[in-house]
Amino acid sequence: MSVNVGLDLGSTAIKVVLTEGRKILWHGQTPTAPGQESLAQILTRKGLTELGLTSRDVGQVASTGYGRRLVGFAEKAVDEILANAVGLFELSGRTARHIVNIGGQDVKCISLDEQGRVTDIKMNDKCAAGTGRFFELVARLLDTPVSDFTDLSQAATESITLNSTCVVFAESEIVSLMAKGTKKMDIVKALHESVARRVASMFKYSELNEGLWLDGGPAMNKALVTALADELMTEVFVLDKPQYTVAYGAALCLN
Amino acid sequence: MSPNDTRRERLYRKTAQKVQAEETQILDWLRARDDYRPELDYFLAQLADRSVRAVERRSGRKVVRLLCNQAPLELFLAAGLQPLRIASGSFNEASFSVHNWPALTCPLIKGILTGLILDPNLLTGPWVIPSSCDWVVKFWEMRLEVSPLDMTANDKELMFLELPHFKNRPKSRNRWLEEVLELKKFLESLTGRKIRRPELLQAVSTVNRAWQAILALKDLRRQGRISSVYFSAVMGAFFLGDLDTWSNQVTALCQKLWPAENPAPGIFLAGSPIFFPNFKLPVLIEEAGLRIAADDLCSSERVFPSGQVLEDTSEFGLTAALAGRYHQGCLCPTFGDNERRVNNILSQTEESNFQGVVFTVLKGCHPYDLESVTIEKTLKKHGLRYLRLETDYSAEDRPNLLTRLEAFASSLKGVRGVS
Repeated sequence: MSVNVGLDLGSTAIKVVLTEGRKILWHGQTPTAPGQESLAQILTRKGLTELGLTSRDVGQVASTGYGRRLVGFAEKAVDEILANAVGLFELSGRTARHIVNIGGQDVKCISLDEQGRVTDIKMNDKCAAGTGRFFELVARLLDTPVSDFTDLSQAATESITLNSTCVVFAESEIVSLMAKGTKKMDIVKALHESVARRVASMFKYSELNEGLWLDGGPAMNKALVTALADELMTEVFVLDKPQYTVAYGAALCLN
Repeated sequence: MSPNDTRRERLYRKTAQKVQAEETQILDWLRARDDYRPELDYFLAQLADRSVRAVERRSGRKVVRLLCNQAPLELFLAAGLQPLRIASGSFNEASFSVHNWPALTCPLIKGILTGLILDPNLLTGPWVIPSSCDWVVKFWEMRLEVSPLDMTANDKELMFLELPHFKNRPKSRNRWLEEVLELKKFLESLTGRKIRRPELLQAVSTVNRAWQAILALKDLRRQGRISSVYFSAVMGAFFLGDLDTWSNQVTALCQKLWPAENPAPGIFLAGSPIFFPNFKLPVLIEEAGLRIAADDLCSSERVFPSGQVLEDTSEFGLTAALAGRYHQGCLCPTFGDNERRVNNILSQTEESNFQGVVFTVLKGCHPYDLESVTIEKTLKKHGLRYLRLETDYSAEDRPNLLTRLEAFASSLKGVRGVS
């Protein structure tokens, strides 16, 4: 058996996908920490063991993400925009025309043509606004895990506006809202709307077609999906495991 | 001397050292590359010392400081003066300016203003400022904040060229000609020498020779035989010494046997200018597996608007023709009727053999930012791939920019979502 390995070394998590052809055999992730190459190796070995395979069954390895050049055992380093496009286009049944990827430290908006070729790329530059880090910071401030954000947002009763998407300014704004007694659920809903506005500003409405997919870890947050759909006034599609599309795309680039 | 002065002096000294280190680092890197050729020494040596004194020594002429490139260079040369375009691509100079200027000021202007603080020789002396963008218009006001001048010195040292921002109107052309005639008088007042026909003809010929040299250099780059980082270095030395010597050196450089053509996909680089030592984008473009086939940067291929065809060779006829060329031929985005810019890119698609356009916007450079919208739409309509990158002089966005450039390279190579 020949298994290809796709590694996505992101700023928050390392994701590994093992594939046979286009089929995903296994996927797993571990938090990013120093020694990314070893962590990726350990995770790959875990996947192989669970599949009853050994390193001899590995065909090729592709790495992507910010740490893609840190992996000595990868035959190919693929930029994460291409890996994302390739992976999601395939998993969406070739219907994706726009991808919003919210990662730990960046937001990417990728547009594709009918062939899955990248036609446009937008990325936030130096600022962590609207990224996974932003959600983590708010979670710390509210002393609530990010996994509770969907339920909290759906339970919101009042509409408030969070004016800052800047991580630093948002922190003081949220502290001030909490001091005024604003309910946690209303703050969380406002947070999603604020991130959605920020992401929407990276698109030109006139160039937005059907087939917008959200991926990356924060895509599992249904309240964010709803807020983005409201802001962009279009349906937003999400896969079951949206955090693995980039690693899967890297593996596909080996085909 | 008060303790504050001592502290300030230490701060200036420290910043000057950082700027020096930044420049040395890039020059060393340029010399250490595998494709380095000794013929580049001349240009790198000039970049290593861009002080007014060094430029005056090398050119044998008194320097007139120049912002932007709409002032006809031929007039300066005919007056026996050396035009020196003042610019800065230094991250340390630009970042130092946060102590004095708003954070969102154009990085180029920020860098120049710090340069004025660090080098008093740059500060005092004649200036010619074509009123291109708002930053340039407000520049002198900011310069006076650095060091006040009395009214007499101010009038003597400064010539504002009021640039009419609509090229296609006859009224604008007439107004611009008046400005250029004023410039002629201003330059004459600096030397006490009249600019006459023979000197003008000589200057036109000097600039035409420089244009021929640039054409040869452009050809070399178009073929992928010289790296864009070296192209940028050569163009960066354009104002830094005697122009005839520069042209001869470029010609010698082009005659050198260069390596085989670079097969990387070619791109056209458009947008805000790139000045030494900020070669971040050309370097990243190469790292991403692309090569710059051509550009329309006013710091590079557009350093002046082509050679001059001589029709009316009278003194007035020559001056009027120069005024027309530097106005009509200028593709600066501060013009309100600038369709020629996008047409220039489109017309070069075939001859320069590029597959996509990278448009760079310096943060705070609003005219380029605005014009990028129209350019993007037009280029995409013509089937060209387009990538817009907004950046400044810092290095912290390198990984982010590289990711986008690598993805752009993949898209130019026709990589599809599914094999």
